[in-house]
Formats: sequence, structure tokens, C-alpha cells
Amino acid sequence: MTRLVNFYTEREHYILGGGFILLLIIAWESVPHLVALPRALSLFFTTPSKVWETFYELLVRNEVQAHFYVSATEFLLGLGLAILFGLPLGLIMGRSSVMDAMFDPYVTALNATPRIVFLPLLILWLGLGIWSKVMIVFIGAVFPLLINTYEGVKNVDRVLVNVVRSFGANEWQVMKMVVLPNSLLYIVVGLRLAIGRAILGVVVGEFYGATKGLGAMMARAASAYQVDVVFVGVAIFMAVSLIFTLTVKKIESKLTRWRPEAVKSF
Amino acid sequence: MGAKRIYQEYQRPILGLVSVAGLFLAWELVLTYLVPLNPFFFTKPSLIATAFQEQVLGGRLWHDLIISSRAFLWGFSCAIAVGIPVGVLMGWRRRAEYTLDPFLTALYASPLVALAPLIIVVFGVGLLAKSVLVFLLAVFPFIFNAFAGVRSTDRLLINVVKSFGGKEKDLYFKVILPSTLPYIVAGTRIAIGRGLVGIIVGEFVAASEGIGFAISRFGDTYQLPEMFAAIFFLMITAIVLTEGMRKLEAALAPWRVGQEAR
Repeated sequence: MTRLVNFYTEREHYILGGGFILLLIIAWESVPHLVALPRALSLFFTTPSKVWETFYELLVRNEVQAHFYVSATEFLLGLGLAILFGLPLGLIMGRSSVMDAMFDPYVTALNATPRIVFLPLLILWLGLGIWSKVMIVFIGAVFPLLINTYEGVKNVDRVLVNVVRSFGANEWQVMKMVVLPNSLLYIVVGLRLAIGRAILGVVVGEFYGATKGLGAMMARAASAYQVDVVFVGVAIFMAVSLIFTLTVKKIESKLTRWRPEAVKSF
Repeated sequence: MGAKRIYQEYQRPILGLVSVAGLFLAWELVLTYLVPLNPFFFTKPSLIATAFQEQVLGGRLWHDLIISSRAFLWGFSCAIAVGIPVGVLMGWRRRAEYTLDPFLTALYASPLVALAPLIIVVFGVGLLAKSVLVFLLAVFPFIFNAFAGVRSTDRLLINVVKSFGGKEKDLYFKVILPSTLPYIVAGTRIAIGRGLVGIIVGEFVAASEGIGFAISRFGDTYQLPEMFAAIFFLMITAIVLTEGMRKLEAALAPWRVGQEAR
């Protein structure tokens, strides 16, 4: 008995956490077995097992892969562009007070606005293909990266910069030896936030005027009352987000063993 | 001499103003004199200003904004009412944290907007569906910030209240709540951003009125000046809300400013 209690107290964290999720799934699965749903409601209802079946079916028919491929391309291109522009711009804004003052109004304004409002405009300019989605992913993901890089550069120890300077380092060397290593953690945090925004951009971008991609698949399924297909999409997006977020979190905690956990932010 | 001193003192706002004014001026001039304007593809500031005046003073955009903010307020109030108690519970009771944390973290990390089409199908086009969407997106920052706030409460203060005979109620209202407040304000700022996303997405997917609907309708009908006017209108609203929260944060907890990623 005591061994059992010990076993429980040692792993209470995982048992309670995993147990709760398991319980929810079982409860969800057993709802139609316990109560007879009215016809109108059963139209919107699905169970985890049905979602799984549908997922398997779509997988066999090669449908999920095709949509996933389009979504993944949009995600990677947009995020790549965001890194390409966000990091250098953040570094420049952090190092030059004139640039900082000149770009700040735009960064503040665009960061406060939900970037998806630009979607109709981007569709008008870039058409219904993947490029309007790539752009929406890009403008979603670029600001967390830019702002975090900026904060990282701003928080660099002045003394270190001055020491390297007085030993004759130029701006490039200061950047390489002091600024970049010190803002690495901030950049990684920015990357995590950017990944979340990028996935959001893919989802929403495809809801609205797209024929290919997981978001388009979900929007079409929802209007045809294929609720299980919608949940397949939700589950895929969830899984991808979790994998990315947890991976970057791992890197983060490697970089900050000494730091207590701050507020969760996604 | 005087001008130089003024410049040095107000360098930031001056440079910011110059760059914004310069951009708009260049935009206007290029499209007036250099490149012929294709009204189906682009527009210029003077036309946007006219449209803005018409739409905002004519009251159309205000009407849309009120429609949108009604759904926003319902969803947001529910998010506060549910999020803060859940967060406080998680911070105060270890078992509650163990039980809820993995589940809620998974939900927080995943793009819940993906549920938008389903929510609209289930709850219908209109106020309810949008409120549910806003609630779903905005509740997590409240939960996790209240949680972190309770966790950061000084144990010493709790012990002092306890040893002077304070009750559970005193602990909550005299120690935990005040020290959690700055965290909750920070959470509010994040939640505003997410809630706005919810409103806009809800109205993009299916709506008959509201600011997101206005933007997408103007886009569909190639009314570019009106569309830009609506976007700028929403932008101003968003900036006022977010920067207001940031000011409040700075007033409540000046030592925390700039510690957290935006």
C-alpha cells in the first residue's frame, strides 16, 4: 500500500494531468451512449473515435497530405521571410536610436492591430493562391521576432559593449561578440511566439478565400456539416503547434536554466 | 540654438512624426505625379481621408464598431469571470494546477481560431458565435497570468497575515489579489489582442455587420479607400486599447515594465 502511495505522490503531477485529459476524452466519447441527442444536435456532434476514423480515411485517400503540403509551404515561406526581415530590423532598431525612433510608430501600430485585417487587401493584391497566405503569415510572425530581437539588443550589458569597443572592436565585431550571444534567448522566445502567429495566419488565411490547404478543407467541411473533418483539421493544427512550441520551450529552458519560469505566453 | 535643443529633447517623437508624415506624403505624391493610380488596385491618402470622413462622420463605421464591440464585451467579460478564478485556483491549490495545467497549456498553445467555422455553424451567425470565439481566445491569458500572479505572491506576507490570525478571505483580498493585479492587467493586454483576432475572424468567416465584415465587404467590392479607412479606424481603436493597458501596467507595477515579451 505504501508503495502504491509513494508511486502516486512521486508522479502525481503526470497522473493528475494525464488523467484529466483522458477523462475528458472518455466523457466526450461516451456522451452519445449515455443520452439520446436530439436530431438537430446530433448533426453537429462527433466523437473522438469518429474523428480518428475520418482522419484515417482522409489519410488513405491522400487528401490530408495534399492539404497539409500546401499549408506547410505557406507556413515555412512566411516564417522564413519573417526571420529574414525581423532579425536584421530588430538588430538595427536596437543599435540605432534614430532608426528606432523612425520605425517605432509603425511597429507599435501594426503590433497592436490584429494583422488578419489585412487579409482582404492581400487577397486583392496577391490573388487567391498561396502568396496572399505567405504574406499574412509573414506579417503575423515578423513582429514578435522583431520586437524580441529589439528587446534583447536593448538589454545587452552596456559595460560589455564598452569594453569590447575600447579594445578597438567595430560595430560588426560588437554585434558578433556581445550583442548576438546576449540576445539569443530573446530571439528564441520571439521565434516561439512567431511560430504561434504563423500557424494562426495559415489557419485564418485559408478560411477566407482559398481552395487548398487545411484551413480551406475545414471551412468547406464546416459549411457541409462534416464536423468530424473539421476536428481532424483542429487536431492536426493542435499537434503541430504543440510539437513546435514544446521543442522551442526545451531550447529556451536549456538557455535559461538559472531563470525562474515567467508567465506563459503564446 | 533653441531649435537644436528642442530637437535633442524631443528627438523620438519628432523623428517618429517625420517618418510617418514622410511616408504618407511620399505615398500621395508618387501616386499623384509619378505613377497613374489604378483605383481597383491601390489608393492614396487623400482619397482615404475623404472616405474616412464620410464613413466615420456618417456613422456607418461607428455602427459597425458598436456591433463588433458588443460581441467583444460579452466574450471578454465571460473570459474575466472564468479566467481569473480558475487561474487563482491553479496558483493556490497544487492539485488543481497538476490537473488543469497540461490540458489548458495544450489548448493555449494550439490555434483555437481553427474552431471558428464550427462555432459559427453551431451557434449561428451573429452575437453568440462571435462572443464564444472571443471568450475561447481571451480566457487563457487571464488564467495563466492570474496563475503566475498568485505564484509570485510573497510567502512572507502570507505567513504574516496568517500569524496575525487572518482568515482565508483576508489572504485572498489583502495579499493575493493586490499582488496579482499587475499580472492580470498584463494578461488583459494580451487578451485584448487575441479577442480582436476572434472578432475579426468571426466576421470574416460569416457575418452581416461589424467592422471585420465591413473590411471584407469593401475588399470584395473593390472600394479601396473605404477599406483603408475601416482598417485605420480599427487600428486606432486597437492602439488606444493596447497602449492604455500598457500605461495602466506601468502605473500599477512600474518595476515590471519591459520584462516580458510582447
